Amino acid sequence: MPTGLLGLNPWLDGVVRLLLIVGLMTVVAMGLIYIERKVLGRFHARIGPQRTGPFGLLQSVADALKLIGKEDLRPRNADPWTFEFGPYMVFIPIFLGFVVQPFMAGFQVRVLELGLLYFVAVSSVSIVGWVMAGWGSDNRYAMIGGMRAAAQAISYELPFVLSLLAVSMLTGTLNINEIVMSQAGVPNIVWQPLAFIIFFIAALAELNRPPFDIPVGESEVVGGPFVEYSGIRWSMFFLGEYASLFIMSILISALFLGGYEWPFGTQLGVGFQLLLTVVKASVLIFLIIWVRASVPRLRIDQLMGYAWKILLPLSLAQILINGFVLVYDLPKIVLTVAGIGGVFALVWLTERAIRRPRSARASAIALSEAAS
Amino acid sequence: MTSEETTESTEAAAPTATLDGTIWAEVDRALSGITASAERGVLDVIVHVPPAEIVRALKALKADATLKFDYLRSLTAVDNEADGIDVVYHLYSTTARHNLTVKATLPPTNLFIDTATSIWRAADWLERETAEMFGVRFNGHPDPRTLLMPEDMDDTFPLRKDHPLAEIEILQGEGMGYSEEDQ
Amino acid sequence: MVIESAHEFETQDLLLNVGPQHPSTHGVFRMVMQVDGEVVRDIIPYIGYLHRGAEKLCETMDYRQGIGFMDRTEYLAAMNAELSYVMAVEALAELEVPDRAQWIRMILVELNRLSSHLMFMGAFGIDVGVFGTPFIYAWREREAIIDLFEEISGDRMMYAYLRPGGLAWDVPTNFVARCRETLTAVRQGIADFDGLLTKNEIFVARTQGIGFISAADAIDFGMSGPSIRASGVPLDVRREEPYLKYNDVKWDVITHTDGDVYARYLCRLGEMRESVKIVEQCLDRLEPGAIMPEKMPRMLRTPPGEVYIRTEAPRGEFGVYLVSKGGNRPYRLKVRSACLSNLQALKHMSVGQYVADAIIVLGSIDIVLSEVDR
Repeated sequence: MPTGLLGLNPWLDGVVRLLLIVGLMTVVAMGLIYIERKVLGRFHARIGPQRTGPFGLLQSVADALKLIGKEDLRPRNADPWTFEFGPYMVFIPIFLGFVVQPFMAGFQVRVLELGLLYFVAVSSVSIVGWVMAGWGSDNRYAMIGGMRAAAQAISYELPFVLSLLAVSMLTGTLNINEIVMSQAGVPNIVWQPLAFIIFFIAALAELNRPPFDIPVGESEVVGGPFVEYSGIRWSMFFLGEYASLFIMSILISALFLGGYEWPFGTQLGVGFQLLLTVVKASVLIFLIIWVRASVPRLRIDQLMGYAWKILLPLSLAQILINGFVLVYDLPKIVLTVAGIGGVFALVWLTERAIRRPRSARASAIALSEAAS
Repeated sequence: MTSEETTESTEAAAPTATLDGTIWAEVDRALSGITASAERGVLDVIVHVPPAEIVRALKALKADATLKFDYLRSLTAVDNEADGIDVVYHLYSTTARHNLTVKATLPPTNLFIDTATSIWRAADWLERETAEMFGVRFNGHPDPRTLLMPEDMDDTFPLRKDHPLAEIEILQGEGMGYSEEDQ
Repeated sequence: MVIESAHEFETQDLLLNVGPQHPSTHGVFRMVMQVDGEVVRDIIPYIGYLHRGAEKLCETMDYRQGIGFMDRTEYLAAMNAELSYVMAVEALAELEVPDRAQWIRMILVELNRLSSHLMFMGAFGIDVGVFGTPFIYAWREREAIIDLFEEISGDRMMYAYLRPGGLAWDVPTNFVARCRETLTAVRQGIADFDGLLTKNEIFVARTQGIGFISAADAIDFGMSGPSIRASGVPLDVRREEPYLKYNDVKWDVITHTDGDVYARYLCRLGEMRESVKIVEQCLDRLEPGAIMPEKMPRMLRTPPGEVYIRTEAPRGEFGVYLVSKGGNRPYRLKVRSACLSNLQALKHMSVGQYVADAIIVLGSIDIVLSEVDR
C-alpha cells in the first residue's frame, strides 16, 4: 500500500500514525475500563460507576487522573532498569500488534503480507515485560507471578498459533485483510468451529483474563508482577491489558466472524463496515467480561495440562483435517462436521479432566482399603 | 479456700453420692491403678487425676473400648492462686457420645505436666496457649513456641490471677458502682 | 558418571510470607509457606495478631457486660457466641429460660448461621477466583438478615441481644412477617449460589479432591462444624446434645464423605437449607409469652461451680468454659474456638498441594480471626 496518509512525507506520516495509535488506544482502553466496570457491576447485581459525570462516564478519566497524580514508587531493592522498563516492554508490543488490525477496508495502519505472523511475533514479546516486572520488583509474589506468566504464555502460544494456522490454511494467506475478504460469503467460524473455540480460549489465556488470570491471581499472588507498581507505571500495565483485549477481539472477529466483510460489508460501504467491526468486537468483549464474572480461576497445573493435553492435540487434529480436506479436495461441509465433532470432543475431554482427580483419589482409597 | 467456698462445700461433697448413673463407673474401671476421684459437674462428670499420671489416664480413657474418648474438645487451665493451677481437659466420644472433664491440679511450685499431643493432635495449639497464658510447662511438647503472645514474652502469664490488670480494666471493675464486698 | 556431582543444580525452597495483610487470609492470619515451585512443602501458621485478651477482660466484668465481648469474639455469628455464653451463665445460676425466649433464640441463631454461611460463600468465591460475583450475591442476602437483626437489637453487628435468662427485650410485632420476608430472600440467595458455583466446571475442578482430611484425622485434630461433617463424621452439637428446642423441630445433619474442599462447600450449602427449614418451623410455633424468667434477680450472681457449655456455631463447636467462685463475675472464662481447632489442621490438609490450593483450603475452613485469637 502506498504511504501518504494526508499526503505527508513518510517520516511525518509515520509519526502521525503512531500518535493516532497511541491516542486511539488510550481512549479505547479507557472506554473499555468504563464498560467493564459497568457490565461487571450489572453481573454483580449492583450499578457500577455512576457518580462521575452522566452515567459515570468520566470514571475512567477520574481514574487516569488519580493514577497520574500518584507517586511512582520503586522499592529500594528492586532492580532499577528492569523494574522501570518492564511496563514499556508490556505496553509497546501490544501497540505494535495494532498495526495490522483491520477495521474497515483500506483503513488500517499497514497491510502486511505476513500480517498474522507479524502479530503473533510481536504480541508474544510482551511476556518479556511481565517477567522483567516480576523479577525486577524483588518481591516473591511478583516473581511467582512472573514465572506463572511466562509458563502460561509459552504454553498457550502453541494452540493459539496452531488455530491461526488452521484458518490461514483454509484461506491460503497470512494477510489478515485477505482472510477477511475471503469471508464475504460465509464466515470462517462455520468451517472452523473448533479452531474458533481453541483460539478464543487461548486468547483468554494470552490476555491473562479469567479463568486464566493466574499470573495476577488476586487471592493468591496479590497482583503478581504488578504488586510493587504504582501510579503511572501501574496504569501502563492496565492500559496494555485493555488495549490487548481490544486488539484481540478485533482479530477474532476478523479471522473467524467475517470481520468488516460479512454480511454485506462491501456492498453497504465503509460506514457499515466500521459498524460491523465494532459490533462484533463488542460482542466478543462482552463475552469475555461475562466469563470473568462467572468462572473461578484455574490452577497452574490445570492450566498447563489443559493447554498441552487437550488444546494442543485438538488443534493439531484440526490442522490434519484441514490438510486432508485441502489435499483431497473434499467438500467443505466435512470441515464443519469435523469441527463440530471436535467441539464435542473438547467438551467431553474437559468434563472428564474435571472429574478425574476425585475419582482417582476414590479409587486409590478403594485400592488401599482392599489391600488392608 | 475462702470462707465463701467452705459454705458451698456441702454442695461439693454431696455430688459424689449422685455419681450413680453417670459414666463414672466406667471411667473408674478404665482408670484402674490411677488414683482418681470424681465429682458431678453441672453437665459433665469431673474426674480429678494426679498430674504425674495424666497422660496414662488420658491414654486409658481414649483406648478404653466402651469409653473411647477420641475427641479433645478443649484444653485449658484455671488459676486457683494458692491452690495451684488446674489443667482441664474436656473430652468427648464421637462414637459413644458422652462427655468427661478431666482435671489435674498442679501445685504452684511445680507447674510441669506431660503433653497430651501424642494422644490428640488437637492438644498442640491448646497446650501452647495454656503454656503461655498460665506458665504451665508441657513436657515433651513438639513445638513449644508461643501461640498468641509475642515470641519473646515467656516470663509473664496474662491469665494468671496475679497478672496485673491494666488501668482500664481496674476502672471497669470499679466503675460498675459496686464491688465484691457489697454482696 | 562423575558429571552429576560436579555440576549439580542447587535448588532452594522459597519462603513465601502470606499475611497478615493478604486478601485471602480472612483477617490477620499469617502463614509462612515453604514453596517448591508451585508446590507447598511446609506451612508455619502464626496467629495472635488479633489477641485482645477477651477471656481476661471478661473476668473483670459482670455477666451482663461479658455478652458484648462474646459478640466481638465471633463477630460473624455473634448470636451463636452470645448463646453459648448466656447458656453457661444460666446453667450456673440455674435460670429457667421461658419458651418464647428459647424459640426466638433459636430463630436468631439459625438466621445468624445463614448470614455467616452466606459470608463464607462470598469470601470463598473470591478465594477460588470468581471476580466479585458471589461476594456481592452473598452481601445482598446477608444484608436482609442483618437489617432484620438491626430492627430487633438496634445494632448491625454487635447485637448484645441475648441475656442470661432470656432476651433483652421482646422482638418487634412484625417480627414473624419480617422473618418470612427475609427467608424468601435467603432461599433465593441459596438457589443463586447453587446455580453459580455448585455445577461450575472450573469451581468443581478447583475444589474437588483438594484439602482432603480423613474422618479419623479430623477427629484427632478436634475439628468441628461443617469442616468435620464434610469428612463423614456426623458431629453436630445440635443433634448430639440438643439445647434450645432442636429436638422439637425436624432437620437433618448434613454430612458428606469426601472430606475435600468441595464437600465442605456442599455441607455449608446444605446446612443453609436446613437452617431455613428450622427457622420456618420455629416461626410456626412461636407463641406470645414471657421472655425472661419471673424471678430474675436484679444483680445476677452465680454459686461456685463450673460448666462447659457447647453449642453449634456456624464454624463448629463454640464452647464456653465458665468457672465461678461466687459473685457477679466469672472467675475464669475460656472460649473454645472452633476456628482454632480447625485451623490446626490446615498444615495437614494443604502440605503437598499447590499454592493456590492452600489458599482455598484456608478459605474452606472459614476462619474468623477474632475468634481464633480471642
